[in-house]
Amino acid sequence: MDEIVTFLRIYPPFDKLPVAAAELAASQAQIEYFATGSTILNAGGPPAQFLYLIRKGSVDLVHIQDGEPTVVDTLNPGEGFGHRSLIRNAPPVVAVHAQTEVLAYLVPANVFHRLCNEYQDFANYFSASSFDRLISAAQQRQGSTAPYLFQTRVRDLIRRPPITIRPDATVRQAAQVMRDENVSCLIVDLPPYGFQDANSGIITDRDLRNRVLANGLPDNTPLREVMTAPATSMPADSLAFEALLLMLERRIHHLPLIDNGQVIGMVTNTDILRRQSSSPLFLPRQLERARGLDDLRTYGDQVYDAVTGLLDAGARVSDVGRVVAVAHDALLQRIIRDAEEELGTPPAPYAWLVLGSEGRYEQTLRTDQDNAMIYADEHPPDAPEYFAKLADIVVERLVQCGFPRCTGDILATNPRWRQPVSQWQAIFGRWIDVPDEESLLRAGIFFDYRQVHGKLRAEAVLRPVIQRARGNTIFLARMARAALRTPAPLTFFRSVALERRGDQKDLLDLKQRGTAIIVDLARIYGLEAGRSETSTVSRLRSAWREASISEVDAERLINAFELISLVRLRSQRDQIANGEEPSNLVVFPQLSPLDQRGLKEAFQAIARAQRGIAMMFQTDRLIG
Amino acid sequence: MKFSTLGRLGVAPWLPWGRKHELPDFLRAYESGPWPDPQKPWREARYVVLDVETSGLNERRDSLLAIGLVEIEDGRIRLDRTWHTMIRPPEGLLVAADSIRIHGLMRNELATAPTFEEVLPALIERLAQRVLIVHVSRIDVGFLNRALKQHYGSKLHGPILDTARIAVTMHQRAQMLGAVSHDMPMPAIQLRGLASSFGLPVYGQHDALNDALTTAQVFLAQATRLAQQGKHTLKALLRSGGV
Repeated sequence: MDEIVTFLRIYPPFDKLPVAAAELAASQAQIEYFATGSTILNAGGPPAQFLYLIRKGSVDLVHIQDGEPTVVDTLNPGEGFGHRSLIRNAPPVVAVHAQTEVLAYLVPANVFHRLCNEYQDFANYFSASSFDRLISAAQQRQGSTAPYLFQTRVRDLIRRPPITIRPDATVRQAAQVMRDENVSCLIVDLPPYGFQDANSGIITDRDLRNRVLANGLPDNTPLREVMTAPATSMPADSLAFEALLLMLERRIHHLPLIDNGQVIGMVTNTDILRRQSSSPLFLPRQLERARGLDDLRTYGDQVYDAVTGLLDAGARVSDVGRVVAVAHDALLQRIIRDAEEELGTPPAPYAWLVLGSEGRYEQTLRTDQDNAMIYADEHPPDAPEYFAKLADIVVERLVQCGFPRCTGDILATNPRWRQPVSQWQAIFGRWIDVPDEESLLRAGIFFDYRQVHGKLRAEAVLRPVIQRARGNTIFLARMARAALRTPAPLTFFRSVALERRGDQKDLLDLKQRGTAIIVDLARIYGLEAGRSETSTVSRLRSAWREASISEVDAERLINAFELISLVRLRSQRDQIANGEEPSNLVVFPQLSPLDQRGLKEAFQAIARAQRGIAMMFQTDRLIG
Repeated sequence: MKFSTLGRLGVAPWLPWGRKHELPDFLRAYESGPWPDPQKPWREARYVVLDVETSGLNERRDSLLAIGLVEIEDGRIRLDRTWHTMIRPPEGLLVAADSIRIHGLMRNELATAPTFEEVLPALIERLAQRVLIVHVSRIDVGFLNRALKQHYGSKLHGPILDTARIAVTMHQRAQMLGAVSHDMPMPAIQLRGLASSFGLPVYGQHDALNDALTTAQVFLAQATRLAQQGKHTLKALLRSGGV
């Protein structure tokens, strides 16, 4: 019987339950064999007497409406059915037909109810909708490895109340307090005194070095002249990971924590990192220390290590994307500043834009460069030449740091993608007004832009043009049709459709058949609602109010996106670790049963959104 | 030694003419059936799947060491009603035997196990009124009949199905119907190979209960396929693989 216990424990919900649960189920189970095409449960027939767990073969769940049977789902080994009828003790709503010969383990009703009573997770699993299970699958994954960053509240990292000082104290007095209290930073109590709120100032040992000593200020300089006020702070109930991200993005090392409007303590990057060895927080420091291109080259490897560490720790893919964006932006800014130093001050305001996945904060492991430049219409005649040189230097150095040129030549070095404002506005406008193949392709990349450097505010001059797409139904419909060209990889029977390439079979392209479709859909919703967010998750989260997708379906797509991205990322990380070229292909049967099931439901969420888009934009009526 | 043991049980196996009166109650109850009706659909009959472990293949020399039983009712294997026991072999065998199965743990378990005579009533009770299913019946049934005959002058009575025979019959029929070509070799008759050829899981280590369970699943698969060929009744099954 051990073998049955082992089998049960591979699959949810038994995989998260004590072994005793699977042992109980196995010891009381019955085994039945069904012929191909036989009816296991009849819709409207007698209530199920068992929870059926498939050991071998597949079954179709068939819903009959107006005499028309529709296969609503296909279940495979490890999956169960009959529980809905069991729980309600009511006739099955859908019929269950054996698609192949089926061997099933049958858990009798009394044992099923006993398991429900004894194990809350068991009851939750079978009472939840498939959508809830998708989320719980994603969460279980997060909790399974190193939950520290994602489960610890910063409040729990506070070691002592904050040490405060008045703003009229001198820097020398501040240094003495730091020495006596053995701390690296003080809260500066601003009037009204005695109440340290979120507007309080902060002074750190770094400030004493960089702003006082290095600038040759006297030791009687009052703190108010060198402190930072108000200090960047965050609520005490934030997660350690959020604190880490904030410190990373702001490049700070101390965070006052606020509870009930009061500073109740401090958390430092070392407090958080003490238990986390490879961390993205070290990255900007590496950059500061980098003296030349050689140092910068190893930076990409460090980003990769940090991302791997975050993935192992169970970070959400969208959070990983933010970390990577901060890290890569820092590198890019450093390279551009170095180039500006070599070429002299820019002759006119400009903006350096990153596009596509980088623009969406979705760049994860190494990818191609996609970038563009936009500069002010009013510029001296030598400006174009300056920007050409700047683009050449920056792109070339990025290549040397491990970011290959985009194969489609979407680079600031290409004069087409290095233009003054009015030209860019015309280009964007034309893509919307004449939505041919090329326009749709370009819009899919360029509309996902993000400014990383430069004094020109690109958003202010480009966003109004993009807003025009909002009312342009032809453009949106064309875009919708393009997004439907690749259907979610589901078979007629709602299993995952796999492909064969050469001698490899059972392959699934997680990008082309998964994330890319969601990215396209989210862009359409974003444009439809006139939103300026560029990341897929924030587009979905913000756009549903004004776009043709319901809140529930938007949430589903977000979860689907997280899940597919996660499976893809982990697969790529493993490929890189094995010295292989990272690809988007996975061999579906080699994934864990949990991943297989999660992916299947994710693809069903995509298919659902695609059907919604097709209806809304009547894409089948479009001609040409 | 043998005679003295049997004498204690009050049995006179060498006197077949007086047998009926000497039979213990459990055997008399067993022999009186009733046995499943062969005309009924196979699912309506009750079955018991048996597998034994022995010290070797010769029923005259070797001894039963373990028995595993799995019941099938309403066409479903009942894991809640499985039965397994070790059997202490005759004194000399434990010392003399060099069989791998009698080494180590097994030897210790066997030394404290009940004797076959002690096990027999419970075993026979479980076989009553059921179709017996075995894989390669010659060995298992041979050992049981030999022991029954020795001790009580009795033998197994009810219908017996052999899953290995069913497999051969199904293969021959398929050949006759041209479903498989004539030069196609016989499919695996060995239990695990046969189970795998149906895509069925094979349960754990070789032991009497695991093998009985594997046999039971093979039987369900065979009966399901035969029913699809129009052979729904127990009679049809017995024709395909009865002993």
